Amino acid sequence: MEATICHLTPYNALSPPSAEAGFRCGRTGMKIAVWAAGLALLAPLAASAQTAAELASGETSSVLTYGMGYHQQRYSPLEQINKNTVKRLVPVWNYSFDDNRSEESQPLVYKGVIYVTTHNATMAVDARTGNQIWKTKVNYAAATPRIVCCGIINRGAAIFDGKLFRTTLDANVIALDAKSGKELWRQNAGDIKLGYSMTMAPLVAAGVVVTGVSGAEFGTRGYIDGWEAETGNHLWRTYTVPGPGEPGHDTWAGDTWKYGGGTTWITGSFDPQLNTVYWGTGNPAPFNTAVRPGDNLHTCSVLALDPQTGSIKWHFQFSPNSPFDYDSVAEMLLATIEVNGVPTKVILHADRNGFFYVLDRTNGKLIGANPYVQMNWASGIDLETGRPIETDVARKARAGELVTVWPSILGGKNWPPMSYNPRTGLAYANTLNFASNYQAVPADYKAGQWYLGMDMAAGWTFPDGPRGYLKAIDPMTGKSKWEAPSDLPRFSGTMTTAGGLVFTGGYDGELQAFDADTGDKLWKFKTGSGIEGQPITWEQDGVQYVAVTTGLGGVYTLFSGDTRLASVPAGGSLWAFALAPQ
Amino acid sequence: MTRDLGIFAGVILTVAVLSAATLTDVPAAEDAPRSAVLQAQTEAQRIAAGKRLYVQNCMHCHGLNMVNPGNVTFDLREFPRDEKARFVESVTRGKNNMPPWRDVLSADEIDALWAYVRAGGQS
Repeated sequence: MEATICHLTPYNALSPPSAEAGFRCGRTGMKIAVWAAGLALLAPLAASAQTAAELASGETSSVLTYGMGYHQQRYSPLEQINKNTVKRLVPVWNYSFDDNRSEESQPLVYKGVIYVTTHNATMAVDARTGNQIWKTKVNYAAATPRIVCCGIINRGAAIFDGKLFRTTLDANVIALDAKSGKELWRQNAGDIKLGYSMTMAPLVAAGVVVTGVSGAEFGTRGYIDGWEAETGNHLWRTYTVPGPGEPGHDTWAGDTWKYGGGTTWITGSFDPQLNTVYWGTGNPAPFNTAVRPGDNLHTCSVLALDPQTGSIKWHFQFSPNSPFDYDSVAEMLLATIEVNGVPTKVILHADRNGFFYVLDRTNGKLIGANPYVQMNWASGIDLETGRPIETDVARKARAGELVTVWPSILGGKNWPPMSYNPRTGLAYANTLNFASNYQAVPADYKAGQWYLGMDMAAGWTFPDGPRGYLKAIDPMTGKSKWEAPSDLPRFSGTMTTAGGLVFTGGYDGELQAFDADTGDKLWKFKTGSGIEGQPITWEQDGVQYVAVTTGLGGVYTLFSGDTRLASVPAGGSLWAFALAPQ
Repeated sequence: MTRDLGIFAGVILTVAVLSAATLTDVPAAEDAPRSAVLQAQTEAQRIAAGKRLYVQNCMHCHGLNMVNPGNVTFDLREFPRDEKARFVESVTRGKNNMPPWRDVLSADEIDALWAYVRAGGQS
């Protein structure tokens, strides 16, 4: 029995990944023979366990984190599928989700098994054959979708120490056994009656399961939670909107902070060396700024957090007192780039407000901010203060006048993540090219109901021609090296490879591969529904695979009034591709 | 201004506490859309009241001004104008992807929504 106390101990993420292996013995005085016997007993467990070292390793046979690495670069060094061979890329299997909602989940891959989520199920699928290994349904109250603003979705799972972690639409965090799909623990993280929901994929950082919430359109107050991976014990909660006595509370008038938004609905990135999690925050609530004078910290910001305690190391606010729903939740992509000739650890962030930001991630100092899309609400960013230099459009909007604002309230880029290719030095982002007709109106707060303060019926201003561009953006200038237009804007993530490719999907159902240097479209495949998913790639038994979910139904489908989408059938599934033999 | 905000927040808090207590038993709180329903005398007023309820409760699935592609959520412009009972049943109890609303919307409010839907999303 003693041998059973010799167990798998999560690797210490604070140490370099090469420093030691993931196994430790719980009792130092144990005889070597007993220790060896313990290891032998635990061999099957080890096969399904993930250590922090693996999560940080970036090896190519797995996809273990949201963003294909803690840095969320969505870059793979694999080259089997490249500019020359991509023409031989063919589907190898398709797996139906039996679901007709939007499919925005990023699959994970570990030891030949794909783990993927929908709003109503978690699934394990054999990566080589597409055969289902297990499927565990997620049941939530039928009333739940009432408080979900922008699509009935889930964006994926996290994996650690033999467990899968995911969130549910009714704001629970659950852990499943990765082998069997059996639920191991469940914790409630928010009250749907108050408008809280969850759609994001958790982050496991330094052994802590970190989650955010959705619901700013319903007058919630955002926060980020830390959970103990083994037990689900709640470790910490950090509110994005500070309460009385907390720094930044004085940027809210009266009690407006209680319903101030700042939700946290996209997964943060993690720098193990700096032991810092970078998490974006959403728009303030309601949109109508007359209700909430002040900068409204920490909405439309990035927070640098200690994963063990949730304490805020520093913050940077992209859009103070935003009227325009310019969430800053989208990926905080971690890269090392040359700044004035010096390799610098930065955050790359294409904000919804239309500016592409470069921040020093060691201290939050602004390095650069340039427009990457058409805009009229600000003329630039003051590099000293980090504050936008607002135009009359913003001032009129605050005064209650009807304005046409570029980019629209869906932003220059919405949540679909960009990728970054260290070989080209370019960020590949699906950008949006339309405006909002914006007018603030009174907001009636009623718990669990829409709390907007904007006349949504005023709609959009769409240009003739493309409503979106896939852009290859120079992070330091915001300028594009190339642009691939699309009449229907793309709402899919991008993924880039050492093979010189950029993968992304279209609302017309095409999975597409572009030349990362020129933007030439080299390959396409019609998946059967609109793609709002996040492409991934990995290598298994000498074969490079690409996979993506298909299935439309997200925010653009629901709000744009773009009836061209009526010709795109709903229906969610997962596709896998590999090269056909020559 | 501060006092107004305090009263405003107090109302919010009351509503929040009531709503959180029992989702099914609490009558719909007095608010602008409900007042509009109660005061509606003409069909045009009922449609206008229905629109306010639509924006607050329905728009985020069924689209601005009821325009959506109809492939993920129901295109209400296609809802048969002579099937009020089906509409009321679907809104009240939910159907397929549609959640139930009986604990949020009163019969008068669902009538106003029906007037808006029958008018094709116009007001």
